Amino acid sequence: MTKVRLSIEGRELEAPATSSILQAYVHAGHTLVEGVGCMGQGVCGSCRVMVRRAGDAEVRTQLACETVVEDGMQAAFLDYFTASVQHVYRLQDITDSWGALRQVGQVFPEAAHCRHCGGCDRACPKGLEVQRGVNLAVEGRLGAAGDVFDECVMCNLCTLACPEHIRPNHLGLFVRRMTASLGLRPGDLLRRLQQIDSGAMGIDFDAPGARPAR
Amino acid sequence: MPSAITCEDALRRWRAGATPTLRTQTTPAAELLAACHPDHGPNARVPLAVGVNRGDACQPELAQQLQANALIDDVDIAGAQLVTTDVLVIGGGGAGCAAALTAAEHGAKVLLATKLRLGDSNTVMAEGGIQAAVGEDDSPQLHFEDTLRAGHFCAEPALVAQMVLDGPDVVRWLIRLGMAFDLEDGQPLGGKLLRKKPGGASAARILSYRDYTGLEMMRVLREAVELDARIDTWNRCPAVELLSDERGRCAGAVLYNLEWRCFVLVRACAVLLATGGAGRLHLNRFPTSNHYGATADGLVLAYRLGARLRELDSFQYHPTGIAYPPHLAGALVSEAARSAGARLINGEGQRFVDELAPRDVVAAAILRECAEGRGIEREGQLGVFLDTPTLALQHPGILEERLVTLRHLARKCGHDPAREPFLVYPTLHYQNGGVAIDRHGAASVPGLYCVGELSGGLHGRNRLMGNALLDILSMGRRAGASAAQSAGRFIAGRAGIGHVYAWQRELMLAGLPLQRKAPQLFPTYAHFDLRADVQLASKTAARCVGDPR
Repeated sequence: MTKVRLSIEGRELEAPATSSILQAYVHAGHTLVEGVGCMGQGVCGSCRVMVRRAGDAEVRTQLACETVVEDGMQAAFLDYFTASVQHVYRLQDITDSWGALRQVGQVFPEAAHCRHCGGCDRACPKGLEVQRGVNLAVEGRLGAAGDVFDECVMCNLCTLACPEHIRPNHLGLFVRRMTASLGLRPGDLLRRLQQIDSGAMGIDFDAPGARPAR
Repeated sequence: MPSAITCEDALRRWRAGATPTLRTQTTPAAELLAACHPDHGPNARVPLAVGVNRGDACQPELAQQLQANALIDDVDIAGAQLVTTDVLVIGGGGAGCAAALTAAEHGAKVLLATKLRLGDSNTVMAEGGIQAAVGEDDSPQLHFEDTLRAGHFCAEPALVAQMVLDGPDVVRWLIRLGMAFDLEDGQPLGGKLLRKKPGGASAARILSYRDYTGLEMMRVLREAVELDARIDTWNRCPAVELLSDERGRCAGAVLYNLEWRCFVLVRACAVLLATGGAGRLHLNRFPTSNHYGATADGLVLAYRLGARLRELDSFQYHPTGIAYPPHLAGALVSEAARSAGARLINGEGQRFVDELAPRDVVAAAILRECAEGRGIEREGQLGVFLDTPTLALQHPGILEERLVTLRHLARKCGHDPAREPFLVYPTLHYQNGGVAIDRHGAASVPGLYCVGELSGGLHGRNRLMGNALLDILSMGRRAGASAAQSAGRFIAGRAGIGHVYAWQRELMLAGLPLQRKAPQLFPTYAHFDLRADVQLASKTAARCVGDPR
């Protein structure tokens, strides 16, 4: 099996060429008890890592479980942080959809100050057009804004990158949550809820299908 | 490894767009399971020698964990910081978050402690969807019967009935929290939810958000918990032992703060375990689809305190884990693929099982193909084909629109799912049994609730796709509400680890070793040793992720 040499957290190590950064790190015998979650699926957003590839001047932010090791790669984990200032809202208090745009401005006042620096876009390990999502939200195009964040894994790398403290991923999620909670009312669900509430949908424990076939 | 057909040969026999006939089935499902499923066979179970379930059958490697000694001693907790709360939730996945949110809503002060980070769980990895009987051609009664039948009639009917009737309300609760669902017709007001048929069910009942339902669910739940001022979240604080009072009631837990390398005592009116399953123990040496923290912590702790467990010899092996490339082995190809019509093909170019049969049957059928030489081998990895190219030909656009995660996974595997099939092999996916609970999620030990994958009784001996996400929310909310009722009660008496000493006596009497410690907390390849870690506490000045421990 082909091996590559790289450095993770300042430690030189060797790993099979098909490993992810996380696999390479544990393969070398190091302790891994944080900055890890789904271990390869790329959905938990925990294993944030800064990566510099051989011959590349730029440091990129990626997910360590999804990034395959390369010869001469340097990687360093980014500790998960909790921001001191949160954008606080109570979704259950937002009941008037006419006030949706006002809510965006009230809860995320910094969003209108976007400098268009593209820092969030460069930080995003999923290649989402984060900055466009922020701008769309400010314009009131909430559906389109929410769509931008459709595949967001909430790794918070854009939040870390934004010089205006916009917390783009949380803004995106806010818009998405508001859209669903104010607007999604499936007819079949409404009907079934009504049937259950009225007692028309009881369970028969003795039905033929509720016991093993003889 | 048994003999197999090389991938090149198998690819020659396979053709995209072809519709191979299904080999005539002569073996009844029960016989197939007995012959090929890992739950069966001479080494599949051992009787437990100590504890409430003494004499009951248990998966052997899990039995070692359950019958191990505690990680800590009195000396570890002497002088440890003491914190009190109404409800202590242990576990930060979907079940823990649902319980915490509901307990807080009912007025309780909640502390949620989690081993990794809030949201790091199997919930976030769930792809297929959640079951709720909303279709006109469907009913809670059918959902009830499907669930019992798939579980081989070993589930608790009262618990299942409650869960299926909760289904539609759970979906409403999720929408209120801001979760989106796929629609059939794109009409958010008064339209229809998109429904898919899970393997082993009699109607289309899976509600989903693309093929990352769990991600959509978890990011909403996580945000809701983080924004709720009544819930304190402690990341990186696994539970290492429960606390008991003189009457044997659960009185709190001992947490280990991985950040500060110290123990913390939490006294609570009610403790709610939502620690998930055991995939990362790699039972029967299978790869797993589970997240990094799934090491049966809650199961071990609850059993030591005296909680009754059930169906400990029954695990779900998801039929379609990645077999090749090796570094992704165990990663899941969602059932959504088979649900949409993708076929399984062996090395001879044949279909060999109804792809939408229950998961245990499909997994056993794949294992049989591999054991009998009809499996496909690629660079030492064994499996069968999941025919996505034919699916893409039959349903143009499906890979782009509906099976997004599958497309991403194929990219990581280094192939185009529209041109080349996946090589798949069963992967350890779910713990069917667990802590026996009542309708409120209460375990047999007073003061202790257990919800989610950790609990048993809802799925019998095999779980249907989409019933896990329903289970965690239905029971999570109920247990949270019930636990909140004990809020504010005067905490009397002494809390300690007296039950650990009783447990050690039992182990000695049964001739079991005291050196083996559990819960394991992390997979063996995490290279984590709690004792060594505690020793480092005094030396810790500055720290970065992944420092040697």
